[in-house]
Amino acid sequence: MTDTSPPLFVRRRLRQGRDRLATVLVTAGGIGVILALLAIGVFLVVEVVPLFWATGATQVVSPETLWSPLAGGDDSVGHRWDPTASLVEGESPRVSLVPLAWGTLEAAAWALLIAVPLALGAASHSALFMSSRLRSHLKPTLELMEALPGVVIGFVAGLVLAPWVERHLADVLAMLLLLVPGLLLAGSLWSCLPPRLQQVMPLGWAGLWLLPWLLLMVVVAQALSPWLEAWAFDGDLRHWLEARLGLDIAVRNAMIVGMAMGFAVMPSVYALAEDALSGVPRSLAEGAQALGATRWQTLWRVVLPAASPGIFSAVMIGAGRAVGETMIVLMASGNAALMTWNPLDGLRSLAATIAIELPEAGPGGPHYRLLLLAALLLFVFTFLVNTLAELVRTRLRRRYRRLGGGA
Amino acid sequence: MPAAPRHCLVFWLLLAPLSVLPAQAQEVAGTLGTMGSDTMAGLMLRWGEALTRQYPGIRLQLQASGSASAPPALVAGTTRLGPMSRPMNEAELQAFIERHGYPPRELAVARDALVVVVHRHNPLESLERPELDAIFSDSRRCGAGEGVHRWQQLGLDRPAGRIRLHGRNAASGTHGLFRQLGLCDGYFRPEVNEHPGSAAVVAAVAEDPRAIGYAGLNHLTPGVKALALRDADGKRHLPDPEAVQRGDYALSRNLYLYLNLPPGESLPAAERAFLDMVLSPDGQSIVEELGFVALLERRRLHQRRELGLDEAGR
Repeated sequence: MTDTSPPLFVRRRLRQGRDRLATVLVTAGGIGVILALLAIGVFLVVEVVPLFWATGATQVVSPETLWSPLAGGDDSVGHRWDPTASLVEGESPRVSLVPLAWGTLEAAAWALLIAVPLALGAASHSALFMSSRLRSHLKPTLELMEALPGVVIGFVAGLVLAPWVERHLADVLAMLLLLVPGLLLAGSLWSCLPPRLQQVMPLGWAGLWLLPWLLLMVVVAQALSPWLEAWAFDGDLRHWLEARLGLDIAVRNAMIVGMAMGFAVMPSVYALAEDALSGVPRSLAEGAQALGATRWQTLWRVVLPAASPGIFSAVMIGAGRAVGETMIVLMASGNAALMTWNPLDGLRSLAATIAIELPEAGPGGPHYRLLLLAALLLFVFTFLVNTLAELVRTRLRRRYRRLGGGA
Repeated sequence: MPAAPRHCLVFWLLLAPLSVLPAQAQEVAGTLGTMGSDTMAGLMLRWGEALTRQYPGIRLQLQASGSASAPPALVAGTTRLGPMSRPMNEAELQAFIERHGYPPRELAVARDALVVVVHRHNPLESLERPELDAIFSDSRRCGAGEGVHRWQQLGLDRPAGRIRLHGRNAASGTHGLFRQLGLCDGYFRPEVNEHPGSAAVVAAVAEDPRAIGYAGLNHLTPGVKALALRDADGKRHLPDPEAVQRGDYALSRNLYLYLNLPPGESLPAAERAFLDMVLSPDGQSIVEELGFVALLERRRLHQRRELGLDEAGR
């Protein structure tokens, strides 16, 4: 065999050549990505500019109309997005991007509010407490969840979940009220169990034996909800909300979007946070426990801070996905360009507006350019989120480097 | 008609411009590219199939991304046939004339109507146009006194609560048409849920007793009820075929094909075959099969004469 292989200096040359080739390719790839990003930004800016400084027949839009509310007569005051309206002489165009930006951020906020606590809770549990056998099954399953296309989630949310929630609002409320205390109750009941039973149901397998308990909670909530509705809400929750709080319920609303998009964002947040948490050296946690810290103290004071750079970037990746997510918002939000704090109202996001209107906007027209401006805004949003994430992450990482903390 | 060998087709195509015969070729072949209305997508598809059965050499290529996509494609010359669910507006016509020097040929090929639908259990039967406007718009240009937000304002005791509004997305032909015919060119309320298709609007209304929505006529399902519209004399008109054909029903419209045809020139063979089929009784029965309404006979024959379809040969 030895006589067929080339002499040493040839092999070294070859290896150097390969190294150089790889370096060139990687550098070229990196530069290519940056150039592509720049090109997209430049394209958007170039396409948007004629909206403000037109050189021909295109209608010019003044920047104020994009941000300031209308002060019309009748009912139509406030911010309006109605780009295809045929305007009467002297009326300003109804092209405020504010409700769209609002809708985007509101949807992302609800999604994160739902996804982040669940994902971080799950990640801490599976990184620190879960039995490794269960974890080796659970993690791939959750990552499979990430592969579910947004269209499918949006379809289910908009056509199945939304009408169901609207009809069973009291059930949903009862479940929300019952699940958290129910889980706490499960925890304290477990610590009261005799040690033999505790061995049958170890903490590391809580993910499995809690399932029947959760199902029981759901059944109890459903049984309790008519009683709850009769006692606290005069027998009809929807009517009560409208009469007492002036809350108007839309079937497709911000809550539904939050749930669906939370479901979509959760797996990636979980996966990244779990990696960060299990990257924290075992010695740290063991040291803390050896010094007498409880599990909770270890998690809260030692492991979480040490993994915070990774956790933060996990949350930010989730935020980036939630801001840019299109199909779920499009199908589950009702696309009503409203600006309210009511989570039971519809909303309309930038991405959904672009998806729904761009195919029918004539290229070069003001509507088309407005949509590209919306795209530019979306681009800036995600760019800011990612830059902020990176900045904070490097900051945190420097601070916790001494601890040997992760990712 | 037996399919000719390929070299024969090429021969015919080469010969066609020199031909002293009228344009009706025995072997019509080629691809008809069309771009436009998604409302008419099913219709164009079925017409295309019928055409291919008749002339195996012709293929109809269909890109259905909305009526507004037809004029730019016609102007740019990427297509010669543009299906549109609304007439071209002034700006679109001007752009076409600027580029080509003549206006596009407009053909009405079918009648369609928008229906206003409510849940099947909703007691409402009919609306006046100002009421419709007061429900959907905040400009009330059709003359209503005040906005209608709740079912009680229409004199109904149920369903209780606010009216939930559903409609098509901005920039769709249906949205534009409803704005024009239903809102007197006014402004939609921002509360209107915008759906990417008429079927989605109908599905949303079918599941919610408090909802009202507008959609294309051919999307009616048993889950919803189409409302009659009262005219100025208080006469009710349901969106039935006769009322839609005659235009008594206020929310009815033509579906158009726009054709890039220089004045004085006769139709190219493939287009001719297509329009001949569309404006034939067979073509119009396809219209009815798909839930649209056929043209008035008078109108159909008039357009055939105008295009010279009944002269030479057929």
